[in-house]
Amino acid sequence: MLVSCNWLRELCPVDATPERLAAALTARGLTVDAVDADTAPGDVVLDIDIPANRPDCLGHFGIAREVAAAFGVQLSPPRALPESIVPSDELAGLVSVTIEDPGLCARYTARLVRRVSIGPSPAHVADRLIACGLRPINNVVDISNIVLLETGHPIHTFDYRLVNQGRIVVRCAGEAMPFTTLDQVERKLTPEMLVIADDRRPVALAGVMGGADSEIGNDTTDVLIEAAWFDPVSIRRTARRLGLPTDASHRFERGMDKDGVLAAQGLAVQLLEEIAGGQAVPGMIDCYPAPGARETLELRYQRVQRLLGYDPGAEAIHEALDALQLAPREAGEGRVEVQVPSYRVDLVYEADLVEEVARHLGLDRLPSTLPLTVAPTENETVHPLAERTRNVLAGLGFQEAFNYSMLPEGADDRWVPKGTLPALALSNPIAEQLGFLRRSILPGLLQSADLNLRRGNRDLRLFEIGRVFLPAGAGDQRPDETLRAGLAWSGLAEPRHWSRDDRPVDMVDLSGAVAGALSHLQPGLAIREERSETPGFHPGQATSFRGADGRELATAGRLHPELLARFDLPQDLFLAEIDLDAVLAAAGPGLEYQPIPKVPAVSRDLSLVLGEGAGYRQVVDLLSSRPAPATARFEAVDRYVGSHIAAGETALTIRVTLEPYDRTLTDEETERYRLDLIEALESSDLPVKLRA
Amino acid sequence: MLDDLLRIEREFNQALDAAGLDPDAVEAIRVRFLGRKAELTGIMKKLGALSKEERPAAGKAINVLKQKVAARLQEAADQAGEAQRTASLAGERVDVTLPPRMPWTGSVHPTTHARRELETIFRGLGYSVESGPEVEDDFHNFQALNMPPEHPARDGADTFYLDGGLLLRTHTSPVQIRTMKDRKPPLKMICPGRVYRRDWDATHLPMFHQIEALVVDEGITMGDLKGTMDVVWKRYFGSEVETRLRPAYFPFVEPGCEYDISCQVCGGDGCRICKQSGWIELGGAGMVHPAVFQAAGVDPERYTGFAFGLGIDRIAMMKYGIDDLRLLMENDTRFLGQFPL
Repeated sequence: MLVSCNWLRELCPVDATPERLAAALTARGLTVDAVDADTAPGDVVLDIDIPANRPDCLGHFGIAREVAAAFGVQLSPPRALPESIVPSDELAGLVSVTIEDPGLCARYTARLVRRVSIGPSPAHVADRLIACGLRPINNVVDISNIVLLETGHPIHTFDYRLVNQGRIVVRCAGEAMPFTTLDQVERKLTPEMLVIADDRRPVALAGVMGGADSEIGNDTTDVLIEAAWFDPVSIRRTARRLGLPTDASHRFERGMDKDGVLAAQGLAVQLLEEIAGGQAVPGMIDCYPAPGARETLELRYQRVQRLLGYDPGAEAIHEALDALQLAPREAGEGRVEVQVPSYRVDLVYEADLVEEVARHLGLDRLPSTLPLTVAPTENETVHPLAERTRNVLAGLGFQEAFNYSMLPEGADDRWVPKGTLPALALSNPIAEQLGFLRRSILPGLLQSADLNLRRGNRDLRLFEIGRVFLPAGAGDQRPDETLRAGLAWSGLAEPRHWSRDDRPVDMVDLSGAVAGALSHLQPGLAIREERSETPGFHPGQATSFRGADGRELATAGRLHPELLARFDLPQDLFLAEIDLDAVLAAAGPGLEYQPIPKVPAVSRDLSLVLGEGAGYRQVVDLLSSRPAPATARFEAVDRYVGSHIAAGETALTIRVTLEPYDRTLTDEETERYRLDLIEALESSDLPVKLRA
Repeated sequence: MLDDLLRIEREFNQALDAAGLDPDAVEAIRVRFLGRKAELTGIMKKLGALSKEERPAAGKAINVLKQKVAARLQEAADQAGEAQRTASLAGERVDVTLPPRMPWTGSVHPTTHARRELETIFRGLGYSVESGPEVEDDFHNFQALNMPPEHPARDGADTFYLDGGLLLRTHTSPVQIRTMKDRKPPLKMICPGRVYRRDWDATHLPMFHQIEALVVDEGITMGDLKGTMDVVWKRYFGSEVETRLRPAYFPFVEPGCEYDISCQVCGGDGCRICKQSGWIELGGAGMVHPAVFQAAGVDPERYTGFAFGLGIDRIAMMKYGIDDLRLLMENDTRFLGQFPL
């Protein structure tokens, strides 16, 4: 809100510089964002950020109250005294007010000023408006704005002739209908919106904006002034639904002062008489079905110390409350009772009064202490694998990326298993490409890879750790938020180096990264590889990593050539996704010491030829199913595909290492075991033979 | 005979000098002067030709020479061997300035760096690290935080909604509510996490990262809040950093405040970065509002608590001098590579 220092000084006689005013207000919670001495000639304008709980400060008078408290001065006497609330017979004959729903309109006052002549405002009025960022229009409209800016309370002025019979009815619209507001836009009202109507039709949208056909015009002579209190929630709903936030709705939705209507009426009438040559009809209509009682609030002195950490003393607390016009009164037993002014809608709790004391005395008076609290930390809810995974993947040479949790429609369809429920849609996305909650990390990484390749960053290894959102079924049920790690690898398998030839990354590199990460995250966990059906991957180069119970821990694969072409990528991209919740659940043996063998291991190589359809894992499964004279380990030490064997065949040398603990194996035992393995292979259904 | 010995010694010296550091030549000289057919070996037989008086002195002279020759040969052989080993090692010398065979260098995101550093500071102060869902309900994101429906403070957090009424959390405060509901005080926790607001321009991303701290116990004061922030920001930004509190409104704290730290760029003198104020606003803070305690099932008469929050991305940008928010979400490897693990 823009605040004129000249205006402020009229309301509160302080001689502090604008900079000192700004500092004092900021220290009291009314943050001054800018001090502008250039825009308004002869004036300095403060741009103040008014917190949502201080609607009383949405006018110069409220700011003046804070200034008066800050500098310990008295406010100037009000220039317009509140009107008598007794209606005159003359006014009653001209104007009537009916409130149909007192819950939505607790108070409605009306006054009538006749024989007004419309014209431009005098310079001192126009200058004030300009300083506060408003454009002068004509004297009557300008007076509304002056009243708003000074008292903080919005008023509305009608052309009396255009309100049929002078009958004001405050009611809900009751039915959907078009209504043209005074900005000449036709709005669609819904039944629950609060309107000001005459006995035939709505003439204003209560607390938001007036209607075009009761607007003050150049030929207006009789002005009907409304100053009312409307329900904050109702006003806010209407303004939001119509997309019509106004200076008035901004104030009403924060809670106006039910008594503030009187000062607003008083000032409006005074100015209409002074500036617009009008003559007020005596009296005021005040429709106030259930006047609120004066609120009181108690503060325990000891509570101030308990919340702030220091004791300012009873006297200082009293002084602070007094400076803020809270009329403190000793209430015995270490308590003080205050009268909450009707404009301080924010003072509800005892703690609110502690804040008043704290900010009046200054937050720089707070001591700097440390809590002595020792709290249990054993039930932390942070994901136990998240940071480990970051370290492992960065340690493996990947760079951490951040992508949005939202994706364009359909972007993750090829990255989720068949039967996964559709991605959750945002009902108010900020952009089409951020419309749906991701079910996979990979579309984001695919985008990041695309950006990098386009920029010429050809060697990339990215990872991202974040949640994916798997719909649980019903719309109001929170989705399953699963922590995933994604990998993207493109370009070289190893850093370019003068000692070797460049080698592009392949599936074996990628699987190594995934298996390597899994071995760090769950040491000793048995992992089985299978073909993955994930449609985003090349159908022949996609792996599913599964735990002992068959649950999928990770998938890895080469980007499907169709997607490669769709993204127009210049080189192959390899992607993997690790389900960290599944890895966590697949609790492996963990870190447990196994005795180191006391005698040397022996090994034998089996040179095999695998026919089509036989895989390394099947062969090893078969071999490890045979009884062994000691712990047996298998590894592939050589692989050959080429002209020396038939097409479709793979030559594979598998090394079997026997690791007895403390008894050296005899040659006969080792040989018998080797022959048994060969026998098992030859008699199996697998297309495997011994290489000649 | 002594003449012979003098001559042999002279010939030996000449030969040894000529041999230099060649181990083969030294060996040849050994054979020539100490071998079976060497003159010095044979000369003993000539002792018989001498008189009985001359024999002991001549025998002694021969032995002295033999020892001398053997010693000098050993010395020459050692030197030659040493020279050969040195030469051989010199031949294996590599250019130590050649680029080494490096593994790939991984990195973590600057926001992760900042978050981890803060987590380390808080963990050192005895805080636990908590998390909660990113898809939240209205109760945990707003109502329990003293923001009933249509509360104007909801404007500050323009919210993404899902069909069915769920929403993307606009702050990590719902984690405070959930933790308070699940556990009894005393509580000392931080909750880092992703949050979402419907705001996208040069200084806002629709998704960003927050950390909030919460301490609930008997006797927690706003002085404890001030002291804790003093410690945290001095440790994170440096011991010269000052923290300042200003009254401010957040529905979930009372008294509430915003907090600033002295500007890192100008040291508090005023500059472009801090808009000449000498201070940089970091976030909101305050004493937990009694209505929040009630919603979370904590007795506001018995317990008090403080909370404060901040944007991690912003802290990271300040710390590492990142001047464009977009860099945080582009994932350009030339950017990411600047933040090794």
